[in-house]
Amino acid sequence: MKHLIALLALAATPLAAQDFSEGSEAKTWNLYAEVPAKFEATVVDVLCDLTGDCPENCGNGTRQLGLLRSADDVMVFPLKNNQPAFTGAATDLLPYCGQTVTVDGLLIEDEDFPVKNIYLVQTVTTADGTTAKANQWTKEWAKANPDAKGKGPWFRRDPRVKAIIAEEGYLGLGLETDEAYIAENF
Amino acid sequence: MRLLLSLFLSALALPALAAEGTRIQVKGEIIDTWCYYSGVMGGPDSVVGSAHHTCALWCSAGGIPVGMLAEDGTVYMILKMAGDENANGGDTILKMAAHTVEVDGMHYTRDGLDYLVVSDVVSDLDIQNKTHEDYGNVPSFSIPDPN
Repeated sequence: MKHLIALLALAATPLAAQDFSEGSEAKTWNLYAEVPAKFEATVVDVLCDLTGDCPENCGNGTRQLGLLRSADDVMVFPLKNNQPAFTGAATDLLPYCGQTVTVDGLLIEDEDFPVKNIYLVQTVTTADGTTAKANQWTKEWAKANPDAKGKGPWFRRDPRVKAIIAEEGYLGLGLETDEAYIAENF
Repeated sequence: MRLLLSLFLSALALPALAAEGTRIQVKGEIIDTWCYYSGVMGGPDSVVGSAHHTCALWCSAGGIPVGMLAEDGTVYMILKMAGDENANGGDTILKMAAHTVEVDGMHYTRDGLDYLVVSDVVSDLDIQNKTHEDYGNVPSFSIPDPN
């Protein structure tokens, strides 16, 4: 019975809040609720984890990926890679689908909002010690959009975004609303 | 004792199994989850609706997970939108940026986050939340200066 109690105590440990900031070299983004966090995790297909619908290679780039943290089995949901360019994390994490890696970045934690277990991933280190920066999204976009070359950031040149803005306007309420707003505010 | 131990070990294995989902029908706004939660562009009320439409397009096209802000304040992370398999910058969720929609789907929770697998879009009411009237366009560079 003593062994069982000890096992139960061990199982309860991950429920307590843990500090993953030790050893983190994450750079600040000056976000109000950012917490540096470096931890080991397995890169998983979130939809697969929740539903059992598990295509090859985490859906080959069509799915959002999660970080199943080794220390406490918590699913951390990375919303952002390390580029200040409106870019997510799934494309950067896809090469590590199913692998156990060490990530470094920023957790967003605010009990009052409330929000927890969302993440901005800055680096990924594989088992052999190779570290990659999570900044590949724009390179992948450029490969997929060879006809959208030009000056300015990708989001000004993206054909899909441009098409929607051309039809619905920047505010999404139609071109006439845009016209009146711009005349009044610029 | 053996039975207890075996029950305990079985319980430990449970998190590895697929979660139990609940079918729900919910109405809310399609939002950009990063700006909403991180505060990078301002408070949560300013990064929804028309004020943030263009930025929501950028973030959705950029593969940032799209969420649905329900009327009760719950944010559902959308893992699949109706018939579109692509939840990483896919066309269907991109076109719904800032729209108010009513959807039917399976709701899952894990580690403090709510996830939604949308099976059907019951109605798409376009943009209802005219936040530009209070906040302008957020961020301010979302509309290029014509001058």
